[in-house]
Amino acid sequence: MKKRLISVLLCTAMAAVLAAGCGSDAGSGGDTGSGNGDEKGESSDGKTTLTFWCHENEPWVKSYKEMAKKFEDANPDYTVEVQDYPFKVYNDKIQTALTSSTAGPDIVAVWGGTAPSFIESDALSEVPEDLVKEFEEDYMAPTLGIYQKEGKYYGVPMEFNLEYGGMIVNKKLFDDSEIAYPETWEDLRKVSQEVSRKNGDIVEMKGFEMMDSDSLICNYLAMILQQGGQYLKDDGSVDFATPEGVKAMEEVLDMYQKGECDLECLTSGEYCFNDVYQDKGYMASVGSWAIGEGSGSYELTYGEDYEYVPVPQYGDEMAFASETGWGIIIPENGANKEAAWEFVKFFSEPENLVQHNIACNQLPPRKSLLDSEEYKEAMPNITFLLDILPSGQWMGPYNTSDMREIFNQTFIDLCQSDSPDVEGALKDASAKITEGCQISYSMGE
Amino acid sequence: MCSLPFLERGMKNNRFVAAVLLPSFLFLFIFSLFPVAYGLGISFYDYNPANSQNPFIGLDNYRRLIQDEVFRLSVKNTVLYCVVAVTGNIVVTLFLAEIISVLPARWMKTMFRTILFIPCIAPMVGTSMVWKYGIFGTDGGVLNRIAGLFNIAPKNWFLTTWPMFFLIVVYTLWADIGYNVVLFTAGLEGVPKEFDEAAAIDGAGPIRRFLWIKLPLIGRTFAFVAIMTMANYFQMFAQFRVFVANGGRNYSAMVLTNYIYKMSFDSFDMGYASAVAAALFVIVFIVAMIQNKMMRSDWSYE
Repeated sequence: MKKRLISVLLCTAMAAVLAAGCGSDAGSGGDTGSGNGDEKGESSDGKTTLTFWCHENEPWVKSYKEMAKKFEDANPDYTVEVQDYPFKVYNDKIQTALTSSTAGPDIVAVWGGTAPSFIESDALSEVPEDLVKEFEEDYMAPTLGIYQKEGKYYGVPMEFNLEYGGMIVNKKLFDDSEIAYPETWEDLRKVSQEVSRKNGDIVEMKGFEMMDSDSLICNYLAMILQQGGQYLKDDGSVDFATPEGVKAMEEVLDMYQKGECDLECLTSGEYCFNDVYQDKGYMASVGSWAIGEGSGSYELTYGEDYEYVPVPQYGDEMAFASETGWGIIIPENGANKEAAWEFVKFFSEPENLVQHNIACNQLPPRKSLLDSEEYKEAMPNITFLLDILPSGQWMGPYNTSDMREIFNQTFIDLCQSDSPDVEGALKDASAKITEGCQISYSMGE
Repeated sequence: MCSLPFLERGMKNNRFVAAVLLPSFLFLFIFSLFPVAYGLGISFYDYNPANSQNPFIGLDNYRRLIQDEVFRLSVKNTVLYCVVAVTGNIVVTLFLAEIISVLPARWMKTMFRTILFIPCIAPMVGTSMVWKYGIFGTDGGVLNRIAGLFNIAPKNWFLTTWPMFFLIVVYTLWADIGYNVVLFTAGLEGVPKEFDEAAAIDGAGPIRRFLWIKLPLIGRTFAFVAIMTMANYFQMFAQFRVFVANGGRNYSAMVLTNYIYKMSFDSFDMGYASAVAAALFVIVFIVAMIQNKMMRSDWSYE
């Protein structure tokens, strides 16, 4: 009898624990930061706590924390808590948080390429009018593109994302070979062919590399635009199978066929610039953000081991297409929306934003910062990119991750074919991208 | 008169049993049955949890399944993978279990079982990463280094179709044979020695004794291993996500679990992903039923 009583008591306790575990955490005072109750974000000292989510990246997180501190100093009623998460799980976390009415962040840093998934839902707060006015006056078009929906904005750009225009070069290899950095496209191809060494499917020493998931499409689109061509049609569809598109693709294929680079980065998901840092390549096209990897991850010295120089342009006129980069969104379900927008406005002020861009090796999204002496002084290695930013166009109203996947697959198939039908393959890829990757909502009013 | 206390005892007993089972049933309902039913419900909607409106679209997601070429490829690859990997697993594990069971010393049996079991303890994501770069890696991977010893040029395995699929099967066998070796060893050691000895006296060799005496006698273990391994392999995910996140060249290694993940968390098309998951559920259910029927054994040597 006693045993039974104890068993029943134990079972009741287990059921209670189970119920408690599945129950609401309201009033628990946990550190989830957000909720929709009146007391949400209120700390014991009466200050309102704003939770800022970002992905793991040491200098970026440091910069966000500095900005938070600066905001707290200017606004003593608020505290900003910066929480960072691994990038691989970051988008899933945002998606989950946006669906929750009881837990989540007040401010979220988001990659422009994934922003449409969040913008297409009605889970984001609209950008206030005064910030929109600044967008129209001072922000470059590619930085804003993806944040629009039906004539309204749902995100604030923090950077100009540029994967074209610069390349990491292995200075030691160039010095040892007594070769100068190429300054024209013809030079680039000549050097690339001279220094590369192929063995089976691997190019053991790469010349010029641009065949990774980010660089390939960005360089290819720039090659089309620089010939005076266009891949975006008036009806919003994509067409790569133009004379310029075919010529550009044949040029890129020629690089592969002549053994200047291989497909390893495309299949492994790695970035080409790592080869340059590991003395396995001479040049790799990449955004300026990769400069820090040389000293950070590989302990190399800028100016001695490697440098960042302009990629010689392919066509007559400078032109390129760019995806919208990192920005900030505010969830509609946040209880501190107004305070969150105050923080974003503070962050976006030119004198604050420029410091963030410098700290993160980013390019500024605001036109007024293109002439910033502070920026040029702090970032002398990438100043040349500031000159080309006004020549950029937005990549278009497409889910760029899916677009890249189709494009890269097409390119791999062409590389693996003995007699590639370039025009046919580009036609197919254009149709697939137009049909499957267009943003589901309208950008304009 | 005397039946009343008996009934009372029975009622009390029932109440006790109910109290004991309730937490487990609650757990089962909340974490197993409810998500399955909810997932099935989602498959009838154009569902994205962040959207304020998720319209009911009836059977549209299922109609889309029928026309979806990648889904059809995924079904084919999943079934092929299960057939090849489960067959390979059972052949290899039976062979290893038989060898272990005839080892003379107990410590030797324990040692080999432990060695074979180690990969099962290691997280699959971690070991998949090691295999991806360390063994299948294009530049410096063990496979290409071995090929180099025979003057064969290095190959980018991730550009291949069926070889990559086969390599994933090999990895799975390495990662997963430990469990079944333990189960088969236990089954083989449970077979009474008399049967084996009698067959030996009658002149049967070791292979014949294994195939015609021991194997039929571990029928129940065999059925359990086959059904569980098949159900498990239908749901294999980690290695496919690590080796071929996009399904490999021309989707040659795209399986249903990876496709579900891709649709859910890359495309945020969760209604359609739920329809794919429902299809996977039906396939696993049918296969398990067929296996169960085919492998039913109504007898025992005990």
